[in-house]
Amino acid sequence: MITHDVVVVGGGLAGLMAATTAAGSVDVAVLSKLYPTRSHSGAAQGGFNAALSEDDSVESHIFDTVKGSDYLGDQDAIEVLCSEGPEVIKELEWAGVPWSRTEDGRVAQRSLGGAGFPRACFAADLSGHVVLHTLYERALKLGVKTYPEWYLVELLVENGRISGLFVYDLASGRTEIIRCKAVILATGGYGRAFAKTTNAFANTGDGMTIAYRAGARLADMEFVQFHPTTLYGTNVLVSEAARGEGGYLFNNRGERFMDRYAPRKMELAPRDVVSRAIFNEIKEGRGVEGKYVNLDLTHLGEAKIKERLPQVRDLACRYTGIDPVEKPIPIEPAQHYSMGGIRTDLNCETNIKGLLAAGEAANVSVHGANRLGGNSLLETVVFGRRAGRRVVEMVSKETAWPELPGESLERAEENWKNNFGSNSPLDPRDNIFKIRREMNRTMTEYVGVFRTESELKQAVDILAGLKERYSTLKVSRKEEPFNYELIEHIEVGYLLDLSEIIALAALRRTESRGAHYRTDFPQRNDQDWLNHTIIWRGEKGPEFGKEPVSITKYQPVERGY
Amino acid sequence: MLINLSIDRFDPNCDRGAYKQQVKVEAKENETVLDALIKAWQQDPTISFRRSCRSAICGSCAMEINGEPRLACQTLLKDVVDSNGNLSLGPMFGFRRLKDLVVDLQPFFDSLKDIIPWVLTKNNHDGRMTPEDAAKIENPATCILCGLCDSELGDGREIGPAAIVKNHRLALDARDMLGLVRLQLNRKYPEEMAAFRENLKSFCPKKINLPEV
Repeated sequence: MITHDVVVVGGGLAGLMAATTAAGSVDVAVLSKLYPTRSHSGAAQGGFNAALSEDDSVESHIFDTVKGSDYLGDQDAIEVLCSEGPEVIKELEWAGVPWSRTEDGRVAQRSLGGAGFPRACFAADLSGHVVLHTLYERALKLGVKTYPEWYLVELLVENGRISGLFVYDLASGRTEIIRCKAVILATGGYGRAFAKTTNAFANTGDGMTIAYRAGARLADMEFVQFHPTTLYGTNVLVSEAARGEGGYLFNNRGERFMDRYAPRKMELAPRDVVSRAIFNEIKEGRGVEGKYVNLDLTHLGEAKIKERLPQVRDLACRYTGIDPVEKPIPIEPAQHYSMGGIRTDLNCETNIKGLLAAGEAANVSVHGANRLGGNSLLETVVFGRRAGRRVVEMVSKETAWPELPGESLERAEENWKNNFGSNSPLDPRDNIFKIRREMNRTMTEYVGVFRTESELKQAVDILAGLKERYSTLKVSRKEEPFNYELIEHIEVGYLLDLSEIIALAALRRTESRGAHYRTDFPQRNDQDWLNHTIIWRGEKGPEFGKEPVSITKYQPVERGY
Repeated sequence: MLINLSIDRFDPNCDRGAYKQQVKVEAKENETVLDALIKAWQQDPTISFRRSCRSAICGSCAMEINGEPRLACQTLLKDVVDSNGNLSLGPMFGFRRLKDLVVDLQPFFDSLKDIIPWVLTKNNHDGRMTPEDAAKIENPATCILCGLCDSELGDGREIGPAAIVKNHRLALDARDMLGLVRLQLNRKYPEEMAAFRENLKSFCPKKINLPEV
């Protein structure tokens, strides 16, 4: 049996930050379904918010974030996020991040949506990529043991405490048990539940579902971020930096339509506002070819585009055939980020002893109902570091090993066996790819930017049917290396659980707040809904409750941009 | 259009050697090779291949496409399919094949340890760097560690190509204590380095163009 004090699951920014913070003090390993540098953090383009400039302030960053969250973000957590931002950026500077620079050599910063100040630290439009690779270098330096292409299958919990992990090694095709004292889940989001998403194939919400199934509480799952600017058709991300650097959005009449929706912030309103505006333009017949809107960067000039947005240019050229230096590019909103996740406290701890979570997989609630651009990358490193520090404290305080996995392991092995066998689908033509496609379509059509009771109910019914069909499907091949059919099967199972939770939570919240917009309840309703949705696994499915929002300084007022 | 994919198959548990499997898929010419491969996989889920970001930033889908080193997600079908719709896919050369298009990447990632693969920050670093110095490391820092350069240019004896790229990125970092001294680790004559730079430019999916130093 493999043993480590701490296992970090996920090799992206939050995971590597946690692991490299804890390394040296405790025996920590990183388990990741990908080689760490393949993690989707690397696709983040825009930047890391931090109030570094003398003219900016931590307080102003806090306020922008609270307002951006539509007052659902926990203000104590937001205070931690914003006040630790500058020192973490400094730490990354010393770790070797190749930032873009100002004339006087400081870390360059740009404007992103919903911010009162240009405070996103960036490296061209490769901000996530360069920090991911720098943290990977730091992990090499510290000799952090990694298990690449190993999948977490189940958390082993004995008497309410983490006792180990049941994992699957893709290369050998075998399961293993890892015994440990603490686990940090940094497994990212679930974008692949949706047909239109900027997310990678790997973003299947594994950590969220596995934690939920093990008894952890999830929160605010109805809040799903749709990024306003993704390439029409492929939904490859076009960074908010494109608008931060001065890009305009135009409808089919050549109008900069954002003046109707956010006259002051225009294109740099928060993402929920811009995504709704784009869909509204399309719905009212002002979409180009009735399907998309144009993002125009031509006035920025070739030099600036080359310097600041080289990746955006490259992606647009390749996937749309249009060079943004010459012509506007067609864009549409698509799923991008999960505000919801595994509920944690300020130290990243969950309701299961020894289980922590950080990054997109977690909900410490710094984003509330809508995340601002530049705050997710910041969250990964600030809370990744906090999780790393916390496990060191936990492990040094509680030196005794938790009891050996017993019942939980038997259950995990039983569940694992259930994946295999001969197929006996309800419909002989059914297969896992069909189920995934129908789930994807349902989520994008009925649980998207605009939501109503009838469509959400429809989604819940369809998802229940898909879950039933799913339960009859099996994988025939067992212990075989690189069995991606098995991985697909398991991941669709995770996504179905989360999709159902998202749809039910959206149905329950009868108001509009941030990214959750109910056309049948278009107003925010602080009296009934200024609270977090808390979700846990009950006997017959997900159960829902509420938890108050932490409000320290800023009383909710109407949000206007 | 109809694409005739010819995919290298190899299962270490039952095959003595690799063989080609033909799969026909319907795809648009502006779709990528990865799109076509995923369609093939949905017909035959036993095909193994890596993929993740589908936007040329993670490096997972590096493979041989008609014998050329490329990222499948970055390659449009119209650029590689012949007039009969034929397209051939194989694992990266120079790596141990594990299954189908999947190769053993561990030696590749381990090869980074042949250099000192992190910035050794000077004690007196003040947190600043001129834009000119920042510009020097920007291009080599775009490396995604896909492995294609090791596949194409690695000879298995010296420091690997991706390690050389990282070594340059670190040597040119104004914060680094070792600086240009690092380049001695490359153990390449100037003319070899010149040839290496030219070769790398010709196929690197991130167009890494190492500066002359």
